[in-house]
Amino acid sequence: MSKITEVKELVEAGKSKKVGAAVQEALDAGGQPADILQAMVDSMSVVGDKFSAGEIFVPEMLIAAKAMSKGVDVLRPLMAGDNSASLGTCVIGTVAGDLHDIGKNLVSMMIESAGFTMVDLGVDVPAEKFVEAARENDNVTLIACSGLLTTTMPALKEAVATIKASDLSDCKVIVGGAPVTPEFAAEIGADGYAADAGSAAVKAKELVK
Amino acid sequence: MNQRENFFAMIEGKKPEFIPNMMEVYKMCVFGTGITDSPLQGGLDPLGVNWIVTKEGAIPEPNNFMFEDIADWKDYVKFPNIDSLGIEAAAKIEMADVTPGEQVVNVFSVCGLFERLAAFMGFENALCSLVEDPESCQEFFDAFADYKIACHHRFIDAYQPDMLTYFDDLATANGLFMSPKVYREVIKPAHQRIIEAVTSRGVIFAQHTCGKCEEIVGDYVEMGAKMWSSAQISNDLEGIMEKYKGRLIVEGGWDSSGPVSYNDASTEAVIDEAVRCAKQYGKYGNFILMPVLMNENGNSMLVGDPRLAPMLEAWHGVEKLA
Repeated sequence: MSKITEVKELVEAGKSKKVGAAVQEALDAGGQPADILQAMVDSMSVVGDKFSAGEIFVPEMLIAAKAMSKGVDVLRPLMAGDNSASLGTCVIGTVAGDLHDIGKNLVSMMIESAGFTMVDLGVDVPAEKFVEAARENDNVTLIACSGLLTTTMPALKEAVATIKASDLSDCKVIVGGAPVTPEFAAEIGADGYAADAGSAAVKAKELVK
Repeated sequence: MNQRENFFAMIEGKKPEFIPNMMEVYKMCVFGTGITDSPLQGGLDPLGVNWIVTKEGAIPEPNNFMFEDIADWKDYVKFPNIDSLGIEAAAKIEMADVTPGEQVVNVFSVCGLFERLAAFMGFENALCSLVEDPESCQEFFDAFADYKIACHHRFIDAYQPDMLTYFDDLATANGLFMSPKVYREVIKPAHQRIIEAVTSRGVIFAQHTCGKCEEIVGDYVEMGAKMWSSAQISNDLEGIMEKYKGRLIVEGGWDSSGPVSYNDASTEAVIDEAVRCAKQYGKYGNFILMPVLMNENGNSMLVGDPRLAPMLEAWHGVEKLA
């Protein structure tokens, strides 16, 4: 088994204590940082697909993301300044009036695993703050708005409307959360919708390419 | 039959006279769990978690967690002396307005095993712990189950309830948080102890679990639960009611994520949803309607809502079973 394949399997299995050493071994064997990173991104894509298909559950997805994070820690010093593999920056938050964050956090992990740099605004985020964060950060290609409650769907609508009314014309908007449907997403003018964290990463890549 | 007689007919597997509406069946008792688990007005609970009150209910303060590694739980978790909490005095106040024989006395017990672990660690670390260090999780769950069981015995002594509803949201809108295998190996043993301690006192056990949790509803029945509450439509409710007829009451049915649960849902839409539930689920004889009506102030059953009275009136027109 090649060292890079070993890294892929360890990420997919969520072996965060072993991934760092495996990534170093892959580098020592001549592997390129960008190739090793892509291998880990591919692993997370498999993880996301399995999650969406119901083959694995949230813990397995989380430990895979943790494992990838450990691998990225080893690669980071070698890739500083190299944005060729990046899909841009994604600003993410749970909308105003909603304090729930587990769904948003899972989506954030998966979108980051797909190759985005994440700016997480947390919970209870006013609509204007999404716009401010997109202006303040470099290369923001995507804004992701999350809402768990039917009571905060108006806030989702307001967030999307505020973003679309701003000067962020190059930015795509994706929405999601338990009460959100594709129809609602279309109605409020979002560019994309995802039903879960796995498919959110797939949609995110699709929107910015 | 009155509400109580009708309810017990269902519990005994007999055909009820009418389909109950949760708003009318119970004397819901929350003071006890407000003392032992999650303060009703927010603030610190007896285990050290700080609760924030939102319109939709209290949640643990975001990003203020007690520990990161489940292996360290004993260094941080100190169970209070429940003799000092004032359960009996609270129960006396709460039960003062109960007319015996009319309603079903239902004591709530919030923040079950998984929710408590998540309250201490945050969801992400809690979920990772289940698969990375299941032994430490089991050790914690065992100890926390001892606390819950002790509290439940005190609730039962103080309230003399007909039933106890234990809250533990183990699922998301799309499915269980953890695999059924992980639930059964890591959480279920302690969960079973909690259920059996309640049923051994002759008290009906109801499990509140939101989300798509149908994969483990059979486990609930097997352990002795007589009701599954907050049964949402992402589950095969009719299949479950049919399969467990005579053994399980399904309380829920309302489309809690759909347009009828939006803040601005019309009274007509709310009535239509109640009628839909009656027609679709009532015929099985083991269904209780749990309306989920939200407005800008929160849950209508707690904060009031002008749509409730018309919904109840309409319900009375469709609740009778032939």
